[in-house]
Amino acid sequence: MLRWLVLRILVMSLTLLGVTLVTFVVLDSAPVDRAEIEAMRGAQDNPFADPSSRDEAVWQLRVHYGMVDAATRQPVPLWRRYAAWLGSAARLRFAGPNEDHAAFWRRFADTVPVTAWLGGLALLVAFGLGLPLGAWCGMRVGTRGDRFFARATFVLAGVPEFLLAMLLVLALAGRRRIFPASGLRSDGAGEWSLLAQVADFAWHMVLPVTVMAILPAVLVVRFVRDSIARAVHQPFALSLRALGTEPHRLRRRLLRNALAPAATLAGSLLPMLVAGSIVVENMFSLDGVGHLAFTAVLRQDQAMVMAIVVLTSGATLVSLLLSDLLHRAVDPRVRLVK
Amino acid sequence: MSTAPTQDTQRARTSRLVPAFGLAVALVGVFAPLLANDLPLVARVGDRWAFPAFADWLGRATAGPNDLSWKQWWSRLPAGSEDFAIMPPWPYGPAETNPALFRGGPSIAHPLGNDDTGRDVVARLVHGAGTAVRIGGASVAIAAFVGVLLGAVAGLRRGVADFTVQRLVEVFLCFPSLLFLLFATAFFGSSTVGIVVVMASVFWISFARVVRGELLSLCERDFVLVARGLGVSEWRILSRHLLPQVRSQVGVTAAFCMANAITTESTLSFLGLGPGATVASWGTMLRQGSELAPLGVWHLWLFPAVAVVAVIGTCHVLADGLRRSTPR
Repeated sequence: MLRWLVLRILVMSLTLLGVTLVTFVVLDSAPVDRAEIEAMRGAQDNPFADPSSRDEAVWQLRVHYGMVDAATRQPVPLWRRYAAWLGSAARLRFAGPNEDHAAFWRRFADTVPVTAWLGGLALLVAFGLGLPLGAWCGMRVGTRGDRFFARATFVLAGVPEFLLAMLLVLALAGRRRIFPASGLRSDGAGEWSLLAQVADFAWHMVLPVTVMAILPAVLVVRFVRDSIARAVHQPFALSLRALGTEPHRLRRRLLRNALAPAATLAGSLLPMLVAGSIVVENMFSLDGVGHLAFTAVLRQDQAMVMAIVVLTSGATLVSLLLSDLLHRAVDPRVRLVK
Repeated sequence: MSTAPTQDTQRARTSRLVPAFGLAVALVGVFAPLLANDLPLVARVGDRWAFPAFADWLGRATAGPNDLSWKQWWSRLPAGSEDFAIMPPWPYGPAETNPALFRGGPSIAHPLGNDDTGRDVVARLVHGAGTAVRIGGASVAIAAFVGVLLGAVAGLRRGVADFTVQRLVEVFLCFPSLLFLLFATAFFGSSTVGIVVVMASVFWISFARVVRGELLSLCERDFVLVARGLGVSEWRILSRHLLPQVRSQVGVTAAFCMANAITTESTLSFLGLGPGATVASWGTMLRQGSELAPLGVWHLWLFPAVAVVAVIGTCHVLADGLRRSTPR
């Protein structure tokens, strides 16, 4: 067990290293770097500036961001910058060389809770709806109810998240404002009672969480349905039935048997939630990690993108490990195989 | 059991309709510039013959005669003239603006209406299909080639090759693909080629996983042992005996990836990071539609939304049908 865990964590760190390397190299190959984008924006603010001062500004910004060596005036090679990034990342300093470390963290501290709430609630909804529905369908494969939900999930899986968000906003947040179309809280909600604030927050969360939960919920329903349907035909179920086990007892056995693998699903849903958060936060104007990533990408903010990639892929790897551990804990067969 | 036969025939009918629809969309997409365009298919100006729509199809622009656009020249052709032009079946281009038809609703001349600059929605939908099919088809083809190759190497060779491919797969698996697409489009400056490359680099892992898994179990079978014993080369075993058996699984994966590619392309376009403003895309149309929807303009979001859902649904149904018809 310990050997397995150590090996697993070793491989995980290797994977994380690979992710950072790929990201760093791709970001670095951008034809326009961050300094040029910022200088361009500066030139837009001040159109009468001397064009040669723009080149100087780009140069200074490059020195500032550590892309160019100030002393030798030579560009710093990619591998050395990656090594420098690795060194500071190992000390959990993700901000760029000359950036304000505290301000960098504050941006994260402001946005992570929003996305954590969104993703957490979406996961809760997905499993809360998906587990019972999937189990219900798995018990009666081929019946009218099963076929109905099979078709419903089929249709829902085919609607892109942005389209779903758009349609929901049109239907429920348009002229008839049943739910708010943007933001996390109403104006002046800070002075309300705690209960009213919680209700207000929940009211704002309904549409974004619905959009984010649909795809994971569809996956959970299908997964649980198929694994229950398989369990029904396994020898142990047949022998239990032959022994005259009461239906509700048999059902409980089947559920435990089929739900264990569903735990592993939670880990693999995380990248999907992150992708969803980019779309959802953009459409509902929420200041979460997805929105932060979007703006960081547009600004070619290498340090911020790297930090977000480490955060999200690290979280994915950890949740994959946790769900594997959970699977081993719940299902003794997994432990015996290896 | 008297209802069983009718159900079967119904199923058979839908199962033929869906691939037919998919094929129709693919053909419309591929031949979009020949179907809906403001350039004539064939034009005769004096003793010069021109094929502007075909040139457009090949990505080349041809200047119209007498400093006019082809459409202007065509609409001003006098009766009984020697010059003539054969227009495409839908004689409106995806970028042909007409301020007089500003946000025009559906009419007989323009059954799906016109957008903010008076562009015809039918033409834009047809060319949007072209964008979706081109980007989806190219990225899935590249992903399938790379994924099948790496998956086959991993499944057949095992050992170091398998370990390397597995780690590579894991790297791309725990990566939020949309985030990757976002900053890679920033890198490639949102060009069609860039989006194709990036999507292929996300999709290849599904092919690699499927092929590797299938080969691992196939290689345990006796026929592989026999072939090896007879001295058949590894390449021949792979290409003649193993890959044909994973064909349908690869097909299922391709259909799912196609749905995914179309979703991703429209999402990127919707977020304003698609293949550029000059390229007609369903996502771009939906963005415009969603901005104008609160003003009561319904035809600019409804039709592209239907197109996106129908095409993605078709891919899913095809994948599902293929999966179910595969003998286990």
